Amino acid sequence: MSNEFRATLHLKFMGRHLMMLPPTYQSHDPNKMAIIYYSLCGIAATDKTQIETKYSKSREFILAHHKTIELKDDQKICTISGFIGTLTLDFQDNKVITINLSNTLFALLSLRILGETSFFENSKHKRHIGNLVKNCQLPDGSFVSSLDIDNGFKPSPVDSKDLRYTYMAISILYLMGSRSKQDFNEFIDVDLAVKNILNHQTLLGAFGEYNEPHAGYTSCALSALYLLNRSLNVLSESFKSKTISWLVFRQLSNEGCSKFQIDSNPSFDEADNGGFQGRPNKFADTCYAFWCMNSLKLLTDDWKNLIDTSAVLNYLLKTTQNTLIGGFSKNDDDDPDIYHTCLGIAALKLLDGSFDGSLCIPKYVSDTMVL
Amino acid sequence: MTEEFLLKFQDIKPTPIQTDIPNELCQILYTKEYANLMGVTRTLMNNREHSKRALELTSVVIEIAPAFYTVWNYRYNIIHDMVLQLKDANQEKVIEFLNKDLDWLDELTLNNPKNYQIWSYRQAILNLHPKPDFKRDLPILKIMLHDDTKNYHVWSYRKWLIDFVKNDSLFDFNIELNFTNIFIDRDIYNNSAWTHRLFVIKTNPANKNIDFNSKLIQNEIIFTKKNIHLCPQNISSWNYLIALLDWLNNGKATDDLIEFASQFVSDFFSNTAILPNIQSSYALEFLADQYKLDPKRINDSIKAYKALSTKYDPIRTPYWNHLIKGLS
Ligand SMILES: [Zn+2]
Repeated sequence: MSNEFRATLHLKFMGRHLMMLPPTYQSHDPNKMAIIYYSLCGIAATDKTQIETKYSKSREFILAHHKTIELKDDQKICTISGFIGTLTLDFQDNKVITINLSNTLFALLSLRILGETSFFENSKHKRHIGNLVKNCQLPDGSFVSSLDIDNGFKPSPVDSKDLRYTYMAISILYLMGSRSKQDFNEFIDVDLAVKNILNHQTLLGAFGEYNEPHAGYTSCALSALYLLNRSLNVLSESFKSKTISWLVFRQLSNEGCSKFQIDSNPSFDEADNGGFQGRPNKFADTCYAFWCMNSLKLLTDDWKNLIDTSAVLNYLLKTTQNTLIGGFSKNDDDDPDIYHTCLGIAALKLLDGSFDGSLCIPKYVSDTMVL
Repeated sequence: MTEEFLLKFQDIKPTPIQTDIPNELCQILYTKEYANLMGVTRTLMNNREHSKRALELTSVVIEIAPAFYTVWNYRYNIIHDMVLQLKDANQEKVIEFLNKDLDWLDELTLNNPKNYQIWSYRQAILNLHPKPDFKRDLPILKIMLHDDTKNYHVWSYRKWLIDFVKNDSLFDFNIELNFTNIFIDRDIYNNSAWTHRLFVIKTNPANKNIDFNSKLIQNEIIFTKKNIHLCPQNISSWNYLIALLDWLNNGKATDDLIEFASQFVSDFFSNTAILPNIQSSYALEFLADQYKLDPKRINDSIKAYKALSTKYDPIRTPYWNHLIKGLS
């Protein structure tokens, strides 16, 4: 098999996800904005002219998901705004608060990809979206994704708080123009947020919940710290080098002593050679090639000289790229899906230098976001 | 089934979902059933109806689309309201009511093992519960972990729960430590079980001032050695050992552990003719990391990294070379 990147097939695969979807997608209704973002991001990274010719008119459609809500209680008045993920969650009079951080981030990234600029320059939008992020921060510095549907001053009582939402909160503020600590502090408590991120450092490097390291959370933590001040200097040198080595060990091999696991390790697969896993002793998975390489790239400029880049290219192009219907799958046996397609392409583009990993958009898009 | 259920809401005018917008992306063709159900839910949420039928409705919506975070929030607000009303009656009633909600949640969990909204909802209900009982939660967690032994969300929830009840005198940390044995015995490579083990030890309030020579830690060393013997090429057990050393012994291995690791690398350090077959690249790396701290053995350390690069772990050649560069 050749290891050529099948651009045309992938564009078709992603394009199909932006067209009419059958009722089987109903259970994904609340995550529709995520599907839109993964598709647009993958398309833009593959062929930006398609964005201009086919999709740029859809800005209005995405903007229809932007909701502004006046909050009032006995002492305070505050206006928040953000995006809903589907119009099923559009409660016209805004008595029920359904905007959240993940849909807001996916919508903002999609708008950036589609070339929208005026939305981002509007100072009211900056303030109102900043207020949403502000209300999502908890006293320990962490973030939830949504607010209580009945009281927008309070975080949702049923949301999880984890590093994904910290990353989203900070990325949203960055997209809306925050750059200096002072900018971020206008809406969130930066020191507390950083302290909370640092509390998720694990003993042997990397980040995770309750000391179990995880490549996805590691990428969220490092990207968030990086967006806050374009450096990772709050991390100690020893933690950085432990994290680099933890990440390097996520690349799987079927050579040398690794082979001893063939019969004994139920999560070992020789076909995983070159791919990355999210945690020790798990199978390789396309998306972790992105999360691990993005983390490494943030930690050191020398990242490509620390991993076997040709092995990861082979893994993505020969093992998880689908050459019949396009797209990338999670591993060598699943069907392709839009999330792994976007992240598989992102991983490849990170390697050729055309993808901005900390913002998760093609580099040509983030290049337009000069301060 | 949904249609029949919706008969309870004949007095409610469903709020229609807006569709057919110009340049719409990702338009989902909703079934009539779905549109009706969501329409009724939307009206009820807008009216803030906190009734028994509204509670039932949330179960139906959650089963169809468990990712609807707002409906989970709605359900919680109904439950919260009902608890406030019951509080005037008595606490027993509140406990009974919340336990019923947990029963519902258990069943949903078994049918939707990958949904993680379940776990934060569960935390919210336990926070509301007047007498949260960890014993009630343990069976479902055990079932979930038996079905999916490395499920990060379930292990994280279990750790949250331990942290939540750590001062409850009925909670037995030794039983919890043994719980990880079940998983390590079943699959010695289960990294979640290994990290859970360290979490249990660190969270136990009795271990606050523990030191490396304590009986507990020495038993852990014996336990780890036994497991490395069974399976020398296992990153999880080696990492556990390194974590114990990092935590309580400044990362420094004892002579006993150096000797222990040496048995897995054949005559690597004395053999000047060939690179022998060894049993574990992790053992060799462990020794190299220790030897580089000793100026007299730094060359052994370099020799080991070179061999990892060429023979024992060649995919990480660039990384091993980077370490060698740092030493010379
Ligand atoms: Zn994945």
